[in-house]
Amino acid sequence: MKRFRFNQQEIVFAVFALLFLVFSIFLRGFLTADNMLTLLQNVAVLGILGLAMAIVVIGRGIDISLIAALAVPPGLVLQMVQNGHSLPASLLAAVLLTIAFGLINGWLIAYAEVPSLFATLATGLLLAGLGQTALFQLDVVQWSPGMDGFERLGQGTILGIPTSIVMFALACIAVSFLLRQTRWGAYIYAIGDNPYAARVTGIPSRPIIVLQYVVAALIGCFAGLVMAASVNSMPTRIFNSTLIYDVILVVVLGGIGLSGGRGGVLNVVIGTLVIGTMLNGMTIMDISYAGQNLIKGVVLLLAVITDSFLNPRNEETAQQGDI
Amino acid sequence: MSDIMLSLRKATKLYAGVPAINGVDFDLRRGEIHALVGENGAGKSTLTKVMAGVVTLTSGAMTVDGVDVAPRTPLEARNLGIAMVFQENSLVPTMTVAQNLFLGQEQFYNRLRGIYIAAQQFLQSLNFDVTPTATVSGLGAAKKQMVEIARAVLHRAKVIIFDEPTASLTPEEKKYFFDLVRDLKKRGVSIVFISHALEEALLLADRITVLRDGKHVVTDDAAKFDRAAIVQAMVGRDLSNTLYGARKSNVRPAGARVLTVQNLKMAPMVKNNSLSVFAGQITGVFGLVGAGRTETFKIVSGVLKRDFFHGGEILLHDKPVRYRVPAPAVKAGIAYVTEDRKVEGFFETSSIARNIYLGLLSKFPKGRMMLSRRETETVGKRWIKKLGVRAIGDHGKVVELSGGNQQKVVIAKSLVQEPDLIIFDEPTRGVDVGAIVEIHELINQLADEGKAVVVISSYLPEIMALSDRILVSRQGKVVEEFSAQDATEERIMYAAIH
Repeated sequence: MKRFRFNQQEIVFAVFALLFLVFSIFLRGFLTADNMLTLLQNVAVLGILGLAMAIVVIGRGIDISLIAALAVPPGLVLQMVQNGHSLPASLLAAVLLTIAFGLINGWLIAYAEVPSLFATLATGLLLAGLGQTALFQLDVVQWSPGMDGFERLGQGTILGIPTSIVMFALACIAVSFLLRQTRWGAYIYAIGDNPYAARVTGIPSRPIIVLQYVVAALIGCFAGLVMAASVNSMPTRIFNSTLIYDVILVVVLGGIGLSGGRGGVLNVVIGTLVIGTMLNGMTIMDISYAGQNLIKGVVLLLAVITDSFLNPRNEETAQQGDI
Repeated sequence: MSDIMLSLRKATKLYAGVPAINGVDFDLRRGEIHALVGENGAGKSTLTKVMAGVVTLTSGAMTVDGVDVAPRTPLEARNLGIAMVFQENSLVPTMTVAQNLFLGQEQFYNRLRGIYIAAQQFLQSLNFDVTPTATVSGLGAAKKQMVEIARAVLHRAKVIIFDEPTASLTPEEKKYFFDLVRDLKKRGVSIVFISHALEEALLLADRITVLRDGKHVVTDDAAKFDRAAIVQAMVGRDLSNTLYGARKSNVRPAGARVLTVQNLKMAPMVKNNSLSVFAGQITGVFGLVGAGRTETFKIVSGVLKRDFFHGGEILLHDKPVRYRVPAPAVKAGIAYVTEDRKVEGFFETSSIARNIYLGLLSKFPKGRMMLSRRETETVGKRWIKKLGVRAIGDHGKVVELSGGNQQKVVIAKSLVQEPDLIIFDEPTRGVDVGAIVEIHELINQLADEGKAVVVISSYLPEIMALSDRILVSRQGKVVEEFSAQDATEERIMYAAIH
C-alpha cells in the first residue's frame, strides 16, 4: 500500500505559482517588466541571507545574528573608506571582523554548548551595539568617493541580468557546491541528521559547527556588501527591522526542516521566490507595514507548524520502529 | 460475571500500511498472570499499547468485562481499569513519590502533608518499602517500578500491563517483583507482561501467548510449555542449538596486547577499573546493567564527555592515550559500536551507502575533500554484500530497515574504518534471530582476522558463545576473569552478583 504524497518542495512551488498567477491577474502593475525586476532585486539580498541561514539550519542550529553580520562589517567598510582608508584594507578589516564573529558564535555553540538560538541572539545584539557605539558615526553610513566602482556589486546589469540577482546566483552555486560536493557539506548534513551518531562515527563535529557559523557570517557580510552597493549606503538600523523573520520564513517555507539534515539550495530559491512574490504583492496592494507583519507572522506560524508535522524531531520518529 | 476480563478479536494495527499486529485474538482471564513472548517486532508492544489506549486499532474489537470498548487515550483506558507500567518513564523525576502517586488527582487546595500521610498508609498497605517524601529521580529502578505499580493499584486497575518489567532489575529485585505480582494476582488483578526472559515467563505466568510476525501463534497454560517449545513457537523453527551455538570448542590464543586500562575512575559508575584486551581474540565483558561496562569503554573510545573523566590510565598499543572526543580515537583505530543505535547509531535521512561512506570519510579524510558518488556506491555495495544487509536497494534509508539490518549498517560504518580494536556494546540488542547468527559469525570472523574484539553483553548465552576470554564486571570494575574453558554460567553469574 503506497500513499500518494506531495513532497514539500512541490507544495511550496505550487503555492508560489498560484500566488504569482493570482497577483498577475488581479493586481495591476504586478506583471510588468519593471516590477519583476524590482521584485527580484529586492529579494536577492534576502535570498543570500537565506543561504547563510540554510547552512546553519541544516546543521541543526539557527543563526539570529545574521542581520548584525549583514549590517556591521559592510558598514565598517564604508566608514573606514570615509575616514580615508583604502578600499582593499577596509574590506580586509571587515572580513577579519566577520570571521572573528563567526568563530565566537561557533565556539559558543560547539564548545561552550550554548543553544544556538540564545548564543546568536546575544552575539548579534553585541555586534550591532559595538557597531553603533564604537564604529559608526551616523546610523546610516554614507557612500564616499573612495568607494567608487564598488557599487557595481549591486547596481547595473551583467549580460542583461541585474547584478544583485547574479550575486544571488553566484552565492547559490557556491553554497550548493559546499553542501553537495564537499566532505564538509556531508558532515554538516550528518551532524544535522544525528549529532550523536556524527560524534561516535568520528566526524569532527565541533570544528564543523564552527565552520558553519563562520561561513554563515561571511555570506551575511557578502549580502550586506551587495545591499550597500545597491543603495549606496549602509543603513545600520536594519538590525532593528523584522528582516530576520523574513530570513527564517524563507528557510522554513522553502522546506528546510528546522530539525536539521534536510533540504538544500533549491529550497532556499523556492522560499525566496514565494516570500518575494508575497512581499511585492503586499506592497502593491499598499498594505501597511504593521499589516504586512501580521500576515508574515501568520505565514511563519503556519510554516513552522507544517514543518513540525512533516519533519518531526527524532524522539517521535524513533518510535515508529518500536512495534 | 464472565471469566474473561479483557478480550481482543481480530485485532489489527497498521503502521503506514504495514501490519504490526494482524488479526490477533487474545483473552485475558480474571486474576491470571499472562505472559506475552515473541521476537522483536512480533507485535507484543503494539498489542499491549492497544489495550492501554496508547494506540488505537485499525480494525478489530476489544471488550472489557464483556462490554465493547475502544480506548483512544491512556486516560480512557485507565478509567476502564487498565493501567500500563512502562519502564520507569511515566514518573515525573523532580517530584516526590507521593506527588507522583496522586498526580492528576490533586484537590484544588493540595496539602503536601495530607498526601504524604495518605501515600504512607497506602504504600504500607501494599507492603512497599518506599519513602513517600523521596524524590523519584533519586530512586533505583526497582523502587521506581514499585511506585508505578502502586499508582496502578491506587487507580483501582483491574488489568495491569508490564512492558519488560525485569529488564533493569537485579536478581534480588526480580524475586521481590515476582512476589509482588503474585500478590496483585491474589487481589484479583489480571496481569499481562511482556518478557524476553523465557525462564521468567515459565516461572511466573499462568498462561503464555506467543506472537510471531504480528500474528497469534499459540496460547496455552505455562505448565504445558518448556523453553525449547516457546523458542520453537517464537521463531517457527528449532533454532535453540544454532542461535547461541553451545560452548566454544576452539579457544583463540591471545595475541599482542592492544588495550590496557589501569585504575580508570569515573564517579559514580567506574571505580578503579583495570583490564586488558588482546589482538586476535574476543574478550567478552559480562555484567548486570549499571556495572560500568559501557562507561568504561565509552571513556576508552572518547564517546563519553571528558568532564566525567576522573583519573586512571589508558594504554593503546602500550602508548598512553586519553581521547576527549571520538574523532581521534577513530583515527587511532578504535571503533565503538553503540548499544543504542537509534540514538547514536546511524543517520536516518541518509541512504545506507551514504552512512557507510561517512564512516570512511571520517577515518580517511585525506584526498577526499570532494565527495565521490562512485566511491559511495562501490563502498556501499561492497559492505551491503559483505554483511548481507537486506534492503530494497542501496538507496533505501536506514530508518526503514529492520533492527538487525540497521545494526549491520552501524557495524559496517565502523568496519569501513578498518579498526584494530572493535568494541561491540550489546551487538544483538533488538535484533531478529536470523540476524543474530549473522552478526555473531561476523564478530568471530573479525577475531580470526586478528583484530582485538570486545563484546559487551548482558546476555550470558551470548557471552558464552562468543568469548575466548570473559571479564565479569560488577559495581564499576572488572572483578573476575575466566578463560572460555573454565567458564560456566553459574560461575560467571556468581561473580557478577556477589
